[in-house]
Amino acid sequence: MTFSMKRVMAIFQKDMKDLYKNMYVSSTILMPLIFAFFYGRMDDLTVEVHFVVINLTLAIVTAFLQCSIIAEEKEKNTLRGLMLSPATIPEILGGKSLVTFILTAITIILCTMLTGYEPTNIGIIAIAIVISSLFYIALGTLMGLISRTVIEASVLILPVMFIFGFGSMFVPFAEQYPILSVIDYLPNIQLVELAAAVEAGSGFGDVLGNLGIIVAWVIIGMIATVIVFKKRELDE
Amino acid sequence: MKVLTMENIEKHEKDTQLFPVFDLEIAAGEITAIYSTLNVRSTLLNMIIGKIPIINGEIRVKGVTIIEDKRAFLNQLGICFFEEGMYERLTVHEYFMFFGGLYNFEQDFEQVFQLTQLQGKKNTKIRDLTFSEMKRVQYGRLLIQSPSIFIFEEPDLNVDMETKRVLINITRRIQEEGKSILVLTGNMESAVTVADRVYRLEEDGLRIIETETDEDTEVKEEITEVTPPEETDNEKELKPIQLNKIPTKVNDKIVLFDPPEIDYIESNDGQANIYIKGEAFPSSLTLTNLEERLQHFGFFRCHRSYIVNLQKVREVITWTRNSYSLILDDKEKTQVPLSKTKMAELKDLLGLK
Repeated sequence: MTFSMKRVMAIFQKDMKDLYKNMYVSSTILMPLIFAFFYGRMDDLTVEVHFVVINLTLAIVTAFLQCSIIAEEKEKNTLRGLMLSPATIPEILGGKSLVTFILTAITIILCTMLTGYEPTNIGIIAIAIVISSLFYIALGTLMGLISRTVIEASVLILPVMFIFGFGSMFVPFAEQYPILSVIDYLPNIQLVELAAAVEAGSGFGDVLGNLGIIVAWVIIGMIATVIVFKKRELDE
Repeated sequence: MKVLTMENIEKHEKDTQLFPVFDLEIAAGEITAIYSTLNVRSTLLNMIIGKIPIINGEIRVKGVTIIEDKRAFLNQLGICFFEEGMYERLTVHEYFMFFGGLYNFEQDFEQVFQLTQLQGKKNTKIRDLTFSEMKRVQYGRLLIQSPSIFIFEEPDLNVDMETKRVLINITRRIQEEGKSILVLTGNMESAVTVADRVYRLEEDGLRIIETETDEDTEVKEEITEVTPPEETDNEKELKPIQLNKIPTKVNDKIVLFDPPEIDYIESNDGQANIYIKGEAFPSSLTLTNLEERLQHFGFFRCHRSYIVNLQKVREVITWTRNSYSLILDDKEKTQVPLSKTKMAELKDLLGLK
């Protein structure tokens, strides 16, 4: 079993071309852009507002794209052909994740241009967003393995969008109900806290705690994906 | 050199036996067909790709089983499923490029386009192709993979004539390259036209269907069988009241048909089926009996297992130098195989030389 970059690129190119022509899925990219456009017209945006758009992008674009391109292979019965080809599962998922990752990066860059977000330390923010996107890719893969069709995928995305996309809206409730304080540890909230700290002038060392929690989420997401994958494989 | 070997393969499903133990070997450069029902066919395919576990036996491609070395096994095995999912939004060229990348295909795609006759459709989305063209795209995918054994499931069901010609060309080419083909089909005509060896797989096991090789001797035997003296006497006596209608059985009823109504007759495991407007009616007579009765009505034994009504034949198609089909003049343009030896006979009959 060798990991061939050539096959990853073949899958990457195929999915890019396919997605480009798939209006149902690619039009979801427009949603965060529309949000960004409206927020961008307001004055005095706080970091929290910038990150509502970024978290929404991660939830809708990253998780949903990954989920639906995996689900579509199942729906259209093309996965069998791929599984019988020399492409291994890491190669298949690698190619797809690359598509999702690049489209996420483009969308987030476009969004920040629209909202006019200029972080004081762009390096830390970029690292934090990249690590977060790994978590959302793992989450998308997990949901892609569970859902059988693109329609199912778009239903599954709703709670994800609610929790991770609009999560910052729950923060005020957490003060009233201590039980809800766990949401402080969600990766989206951590991302906002990290960004706020950076704006306040913190350096890399100060936000390691936040980064650590996000990395923990990435690891949890990956382990969960592998478990579900092993289980599904046995079911088939 | 055996490319595909199946040993000790059997399948029981609940109380019924799908097929009993059988062995099958396919050597390099051989085209073999297995004629079976849909159920048997999909079970067998699932066994080959390892979805249904094989209890006692094993399936080897070039000496390895799927459990020993999945990569090596799948690399040498190319399957064209009947219900194959395709990336419908891609163009034919993009589709081939994708599989070219997966299978490390380094030759020119032009050759694939030419073999599949898709040059004009290169930049058409797969979604916009006809069913037959999609089938040709699938043949193309297998050519790109270029495995040692090609498995086709119902390769020419509902396809147009052009596609069938493309398929037969491709199979000959694969054979010339010393690679093997296994065709799984529920259509006898397709099995006989494409393959050199045809088997039937069902509850009774795997049995070879005799095609051309020992045809002549067998036919002679059958003729001597049906001409004992007493019988000719009987026939003489009966002649004045002999009916020219052909009896068939439909749900315990006996239905009589006029010979000119009949399109063709197919022998299926010793049972002659009479085809009239696309419907099959089992006949109680044997094919040899029917041939004798129908000769005078312009019927012709075009193949060991077929009798055709020559009045209904529209076209004689030459696929390759020794594979022919007859196309009937009906709505579906039914194809009936014509064997090599019978081709000469038919030419005589038609006064062609």
